[in-house]
Amino acid sequence: MATKVSALYDDFIRTFGNVLFAVLLFVVWGILTLIGVIVDQGKSATTYFDSYPAAIARAIIRLGFDNIYHSPWYVGIIGLILVSLTVCTFKRVIPARLPPLRPVKIDKIPLNASIYVRGSEASVRDRVESFFRSRGWSVRKREFGGEEWTFADKHNWARRGVLIAHLGFVIIAAGTTVYWAHGFSGETAIVTGQAVRIPETNAILKLDSFRYKITPILTKSGMVYQPTDYVSNVTVTGRDGIPKQMLVRVNHPIDIDGTLYYQASYGFATRMRVTHDGVNVASLSDRVLEEGEAFDIPGTRNTLVYDRFVPTVDKQSGMPAADPRVNDPAVILSVQQNGETAGTALVPLHTWIDLGNGWRVTPERYLLYSGFQYRYDPGIPLVGIGSLVLLSGLIISFYFLPARLYVRVDPSEAGCTVGVAAMTVKGYDIFAGQFQALLQDLQSSMEPPGPNPHLRKAEAY
Amino acid sequence: MNGHLQADELLMIVAIASYVVGGLALLVYFFSRETWLRNLGAPLAIVGCVAQFAQLIVRYEITGIWPLLNLYGSLSLFAAMSVAIFIGFAIRYKLWFAGGFVLAIAAIFLAYGVTWNEGTMPPVPSLQSYWAKIHVPIVVSSYAAFLVAFVFSCVYLIKYYAEQRIANATVVASAALEGGGTVTVATPALSAAAAGGNPLAQWLETLPSLAQLDVIVYRAVAIGLPLISLGIITGAAWAKEAWGAYWQWDPKETAALCTWIIYLAYMHLHTRNAWRGLRTNWISVGGFVLVIFTYLGVNIWISGLHSYKM
Ligand code: HEM
Repeated sequence: MATKVSALYDDFIRTFGNVLFAVLLFVVWGILTLIGVIVDQGKSATTYFDSYPAAIARAIIRLGFDNIYHSPWYVGIIGLILVSLTVCTFKRVIPARLPPLRPVKIDKIPLNASIYVRGSEASVRDRVESFFRSRGWSVRKREFGGEEWTFADKHNWARRGVLIAHLGFVIIAAGTTVYWAHGFSGETAIVTGQAVRIPETNAILKLDSFRYKITPILTKSGMVYQPTDYVSNVTVTGRDGIPKQMLVRVNHPIDIDGTLYYQASYGFATRMRVTHDGVNVASLSDRVLEEGEAFDIPGTRNTLVYDRFVPTVDKQSGMPAADPRVNDPAVILSVQQNGETAGTALVPLHTWIDLGNGWRVTPERYLLYSGFQYRYDPGIPLVGIGSLVLLSGLIISFYFLPARLYVRVDPSEAGCTVGVAAMTVKGYDIFAGQFQALLQDLQSSMEPPGPNPHLRKAEAY
Repeated sequence: MNGHLQADELLMIVAIASYVVGGLALLVYFFSRETWLRNLGAPLAIVGCVAQFAQLIVRYEITGIWPLLNLYGSLSLFAAMSVAIFIGFAIRYKLWFAGGFVLAIAAIFLAYGVTWNEGTMPPVPSLQSYWAKIHVPIVVSSYAAFLVAFVFSCVYLIKYYAEQRIANATVVASAALEGGGTVTVATPALSAAAAGGNPLAQWLETLPSLAQLDVIVYRAVAIGLPLISLGIITGAAWAKEAWGAYWQWDPKETAALCTWIIYLAYMHLHTRNAWRGLRTNWISVGGFVLVIFTYLGVNIWISGLHSYKM
């Protein structure tokens, strides 16, 4: 039993500690992410059946691909990546990137060269060391079995770059988890003059006014009505109970007791006057409807839907115009029977539409409403710090190449052979050019000119 | 005002013309190695690039509007940054031979970008943020670095498969000679074929070695990956300010995440001897396809918060 568990453990470590496995996880992560780009997220089932063949639509819904980023697949793959990253960091990265000083067989390492230098062993050793020191290499000496080895390192500290990058990812993951555990977000639309209590925070927001600015621009492809500003004037009452007037604009959220409120959208609410046999029906006429809202007509199976507001009706065609500024406003109303649309009409403001059985509806006046998003995210500092840590890890990993030189000085004939091999954390090719230049420099700095039969070309590629 | 506008258009014409002529010269140089072609193409690349940056500045001067917030401006910066990064590589590592491809791609993107020029247009409210000014150039620069990586990956793959062909041909020849021996090493075969007068082999020998090309691709990705990371981070900071959440799973940011993942996979595989080279270069090619999807495909095919095209 114990051996079975330990064999299982070994398999787990071997699999999760393998970079190729990690890359496989990345690939799955990438594919899931891409599915979310291609398949519209958070739509109703009918939308998928309208856009895809039935079998695919069914699969999308069953597999949770309609909300993929919160599906068990997605959370699971991130979890597996975190496990793999942890195992890999301890089992692979640390041993591989922080190797102890040890002797090597110089000519077995692809990046190697040896040069011949005249002089006694001690003096050559000193000169070689001071050469490397003067080039910014940090030199250490060790004895192994009575033989002296010199090790020269560059950017040794940067060996930790990978660890920093990996740590950054873990911190970001922690930050997003904090939001899941303790954060919240929501949205609310407030009609001008009305107040709303935010359920999660108990803050009260009253919309005093909303303004939008549209700039018409004549472009090559015709008139474009470019929105250039959305501003909500609100009175907010937070935890201290003191109402304050504030301004919310796009890119300028407000902070009430740690929760941020954002300008997200706007629209036109309409007050409809509803009459039955010429008598005002107060219970229905008092309501202000937002776009998309509906009410049932009493005593019938009809539902009146306020589809949308039309700021400008084109005088000539009688159809909605592109201008989003309010000139000749109308509303689009539709009547539904048992969930099916029975008819739709464009109804100018102050005119009435007859719904049959003595019912009449008159869109009387419009009021702007402003849509707000609010969000409390205590994970943000962690995500921010994690991002910076991750970024520093990447920069350290990519721009500071830790390289180690293994240097041996062996007496030969009237001088010494200096053998040098180099290893980096990214293979040999990346250091080949520098190695060659370094060795040439070493040779010329050692050299009282004369024949040097032992110089071998650095074996770069 | 009109004079300014003309300066703006003139600079764009100079840039496109320089890229087209310089690109052609360098494309021919890629095959022929006639030095005069490089001496013509390289300065034109620099002239075109400078003209493009000047054009962006002039546009900003005229309109007072940050010129990178529409597809025209951003594609223009993409072309300019691609050429600028390439010039950096070409000067540092003597790589002008690949300039024809970079300039040709830059010219195509630039010409496409010009079709999106709608004239002066104030930005919509969500784009009115200093983050937009930081985020867009960073992301576009990362795409530019990936373009340079893509071009050198293509050169790598061309060289790799051509070498294979020569090596295989050598196997056949030696098999015929020795009655069935096997020869597996590619590069000596290349040198031998070049020495034997094979023009393809001689041409291949003028290119950097596969190992050197691979390192160049790595260096380009090493510029692109931190930049796209920073791009995603600044985008998140901006989204937090504009839309209320730093991450909304909007198609554009999600596609950028995919791009980030594929280059992260590239970097991880590049630490493995067995994967460094042929396979990582194919990943770099695939990565660039995803870059183009993220950059243009998402705007064209998929709607979302980021699709500012009209
Ligand atoms: C998802 C977030 C991750 C990030 C941002 C990240 C980042 C990095 C970076 C920047 C490097 C250095 C590459 C180079 O020097 O060229 C690296 C190397 C490495 N990473 Fe990751 N990594 C991540 C996930 C993982 C995972 C899940 C594993 C699990 C196996 C892993 C294992 C490794 C290994 C083994 C190395 C190479 C170490 C070596 O052999 O020298 N990484 N990583």
